[in-house]
Amino acid sequence: MTESTEHQPAPVAPARCRACDRPLESPLYCAGCHRLYPADGLNYFELLGVSPGFDIDPEVIRRRYFQVSRDIHPDRVGADGRQDLAMRISAKVNEAYRVLLDPLLRAEYLLSLCHDETLNDKAVPPEVLTETLMLREEIEQARAAGDAGRLAEMREQVEQRDAALREQVAHAARALPGDAETRRRLRQFLNATRYVRRMLDELREP
Amino acid sequence: MNPSETIIGIDLGTTFSLVAYVDERGPHVIRDETGEARLPSVIGVLPDPDGGRPRLTIGWPARNHAVEHPETTVYSIKRLIGKGIDELRAELPFLAYSVMPGPRHTVPVEIDGRRYTPEEISSIILQELKRRAEEHLGRAVRRAVITVPAYFDDSQRQATRDAARAAGLDVVRIINEPTAAALAYGIGIRQALQQQSPCAPESRGTSLLQVAPCPTSGSDGTRADAAPTQTVAVYDLGGGTFDISILRIESGVFQVLSTAGDTRLGGDDFDREIIKLVQHEVREQFGLSIESPTTKQALRGLAEAVKIRLSEQDAARIELDLGQDRLYRRQIGRDEFERLCDPLVARTIALCRSAAEDAGLAIDRIDQVILVGGSTRMPLVRRRVGETFGRTPYTALNPDEVVAIGAAMQASVLAGSPLDMLLLDVTPLSLGIETMGGAVSKLILKNTTIPCRATEQFTTFVDGQTAIKLNVLQGERELARDCRSLGEFELRDIPPMPAGMPKVEVEFLIDANGILNVSARELRSGRQAGIQIVPSHGLTREEVERIERESIARARDDIDEHRRIDLVNQVEFDTNKAEQMLAKVGHLLDAGEAARIRADIAALRKLAAETRDLDQLHRALDAFGKGTLHLAELGIREALKDGGEAEAPTARAPRDNVKT
Repeated sequence: MTESTEHQPAPVAPARCRACDRPLESPLYCAGCHRLYPADGLNYFELLGVSPGFDIDPEVIRRRYFQVSRDIHPDRVGADGRQDLAMRISAKVNEAYRVLLDPLLRAEYLLSLCHDETLNDKAVPPEVLTETLMLREEIEQARAAGDAGRLAEMREQVEQRDAALREQVAHAARALPGDAETRRRLRQFLNATRYVRRMLDELREP
Repeated sequence: MNPSETIIGIDLGTTFSLVAYVDERGPHVIRDETGEARLPSVIGVLPDPDGGRPRLTIGWPARNHAVEHPETTVYSIKRLIGKGIDELRAELPFLAYSVMPGPRHTVPVEIDGRRYTPEEISSIILQELKRRAEEHLGRAVRRAVITVPAYFDDSQRQATRDAARAAGLDVVRIINEPTAAALAYGIGIRQALQQQSPCAPESRGTSLLQVAPCPTSGSDGTRADAAPTQTVAVYDLGGGTFDISILRIESGVFQVLSTAGDTRLGGDDFDREIIKLVQHEVREQFGLSIESPTTKQALRGLAEAVKIRLSEQDAARIELDLGQDRLYRRQIGRDEFERLCDPLVARTIALCRSAAEDAGLAIDRIDQVILVGGSTRMPLVRRRVGETFGRTPYTALNPDEVVAIGAAMQASVLAGSPLDMLLLDVTPLSLGIETMGGAVSKLILKNTTIPCRATEQFTTFVDGQTAIKLNVLQGERELARDCRSLGEFELRDIPPMPAGMPKVEVEFLIDANGILNVSARELRSGRQAGIQIVPSHGLTREEVERIERESIARARDDIDEHRRIDLVNQVEFDTNKAEQMLAKVGHLLDAGEAARIRADIAALRKLAAETRDLDQLHRALDAFGKGTLHLAELGIREALKDGGEAEAPTARAPRDNVKT
């Protein structure tokens, strides 16, 4: 799926509006008669009408998100409109935006769209594991000694580790769907980011 | 949708409430005869001497007589709505009226043995606003957008919606107060940019927003004209609540990035610092403790006045007559008052920092800070906010009216107006469920854009189990007991299966009002599971309906009385006028007609004094008008001949305004 840069129109979307027979520009909404179509079966990329893939310009996503929301948000369909349906579609579109905007969530989502045998893999790449275990020990020592300067240094180190991991995640996500090994590596990098985030949260506590 | 139907915008405040609407000329705040838009959120309950339904006073009359009737005057009810008595322990010593623990953690106010829930009190205020709007618009109003503090939780939002229902209003949307303020601000900017005269609000007529910002004159170097996208912090410190919301405004889209707040921190708390000081010193000097409702109420009014004076002056006098020649008197300086309030303001600043962090913005890089709410008039608040955000706050908005204007704008969008504006707000609190051992599993995180949903699967622990109980929680803490329970949700009608077999998928949907909706489905059978919700707080359906029935009855009484007064005034006017005409031109009538008119005058006056049947009086008044038509014509002709002013006996209009 990473090969495709063209946006494929969603196959489940009706080509023409069932109510007014106007060609549909969006799978969710008819600009002619304002009819709403449920978002069932559409993935997040299709919901926002952006090309699937890891590399996405956040500005493009935001612009698409605002555009789609203008059509389907419950406030915009009017007080007498189909509030329930608009509410549901809008909830999905909001979720799509939240996930696609965040690189880690986006990578995870892309992985879930592939045939994903890694879902229950909780492992962390061995080299990351060793490093984080060592970092953790050092943090505890610095904390016990009340060494604020050392803690600040540690924090910087963990932040660097976090940035490097994000790079690794991005690299692996760009290679999707790839082979089973690619997917396994990505899953484990994602697992590792959680590990590192938790450590950072602890370090940031006053 | 009926385009002629106006949806009103209501700011239901702790201290004051307002109502506004938008028409083709722009937004308007509805004012009373004196030009005052604020309706004090105060209700006086006066017992009927004949033992009938108690009489209610609403707004200024209630507020002005609060000291005379401390126990029967209800104020600041917004601090109580949707809360349980346990959460209000700190609040109760400051209330002059008495509050009882009610069913389902409600806190009814007790007056003369009758209990009024906070929803009911709020519904009386809402009804008065509805009445004002109807009188102003000259037609019935059924629907409203109502604002609540951004940090209101699910129970407080539901309670507000119940109050509106009880007032006969259909709430088409609940929106957050700071967001409403941002709407008014943002639209003001767009209008200003479109009109190319951003600094001349007076040229745009009185009906438009008085909020036109002046993007080029900002001392802080804001460049709103050059950059249509901007980040805005709305600092909203009202009478009883504090909210901070951070938004991104871009071409008509108002995207809330984060919000934080405290639903029990506002102007009332600054007053209380003065109250505590006086109470303490009176105890020291006179060995007296101020506990009587009358003194409490007097002290409350005094503290508020002192606070307001200290916003303008460096010092204020405090004098309290304690009876028996005991006079408490002292002077308080602004610096002393600010020392007392600083910890409260510091709490708001800490929340600002956390909101900025949640929005992913450095606090000093936010483009604009808007002050909303009466308490932002305090110099201390302005100073601290300025220091924190590193810029002079924007104060050109009328802090009292801007929220109602924003609500009215959102209402007009919902009514189908072409105003190109989209509001993307967030849920202020995380939503979760209690898991084994009293921990919380979070399903939706705070600051998630609404509407939003989460699903979770549940199963059974026992063979043949057909029901599962869930405790749904709101809050950021890790343990269920530290969060707020929204109620017990019982999933029912699960087909009997061995333990662990059923898969019940529960959907938690937070709608655009910030209110939770829950539904459930058993996936193996595909059956919709029943959900029994026992809310932890609030009114039952029946209670809402009872309040609504009573309020309709009360409204009818009010309307009838209003109509009667109008009719009686008209009778007096018309009959006096006819007598004057008789004196002037009576000689032109034949004797029979003149005598008949004299008899008609007497009869109509008698009827007006005696009858309770307003329709009969209305008909009699009409007949009188017709019966004196000839006299009126003669009068006009005479007047024209004299070159004087022509006045027909029934030419006045007010009767047309009488509601029938």
